[in-house]
Amino acid sequence: MNQVISPSLLQWSHYLAVSLFALGLLGFLVRKNAIVVLMCVELMLNSVNLILVEVSMRTGRPEGIIMVVFVITIAAAEAAVGLGIILNLYRLKDTVEMDSFKTLQG
Amino acid sequence: MREGFFIFFSLLTIACALGVVFAKNAVYSAFSLVLSFFGLAAIYVLWGATFIAMVQILIYTGAIVVLFLFVVMLLDIAKGPPTISTGWWMAALTGATVWVFSVLLLRTLNKSGLPVPTGTLAAVDIRTISKLLFSEYLWPFEVLSIFMLALIVAAFALARPEKGETP
Repeated sequence: MNQVISPSLLQWSHYLAVSLFALGLLGFLVRKNAIVVLMCVELMLNSVNLILVEVSMRTGRPEGIIMVVFVITIAAAEAAVGLGIILNLYRLKDTVEMDSFKTLQG
Repeated sequence: MREGFFIFFSLLTIACALGVVFAKNAVYSAFSLVLSFFGLAAIYVLWGATFIAMVQILIYTGAIVVLFLFVVMLLDIAKGPPTISTGWWMAALTGATVWVFSVLLLRTLNKSGLPVPTGTLAAVDIRTISKLLFSEYLWPFEVLSIFMLALIVAAFALARPEKGETP
């Protein structure tokens, strides 16, 4: 099963991945809502997945795909723990704005 | 034809990522995230990586985004003031710089390291992946399962109400 796609479009997939990463980083930096910040982390992880899958399909080696499976698992774990922490912070401060979490001391 | 689909889904992904970053309502952000992940899954299908496309839809949109939406609706934070913080231009500059340098990096990679694309993509089928996952990558796989067990305990401990507090 060979998929034919023009090589220039493969280059464009790099630009797509980098744009996704930059957008995720931008959101990570500018948004105040902690939940949206976590979503932006997911965007960055997805851009890395895109690069890994692209390289794997280009070289025909399955290692990239396996790494993507691991990355997706870790992403799910990160989302679950991060959202649990946000829930606790909301209980503590009644808000999820990043600016209100300034002290480490409860 | 296939190129057209690729361009369409790339634009969809980018537009929805913009939606995630700039939507004022967190619920809209989550739905944009769903569409963005669907665009990526469609691109994986175009490349022949059907297993990853399936996992992407099942886990990312089926589990992770649902978790996000659940927390957003649980906390009732959809309303509230606009959410862009003050250091906006600094962050935009950072993003643009990262973009430019990453493009430079990828160009260099394309010139030297990676194999030149020949126009045909070798499909990696699910049989190969599963064989490798349970032979050569068995150790990472098992470590990951123990990690997931720890995750379940951690998530439960984090989300549990305090003593004396009604959930």
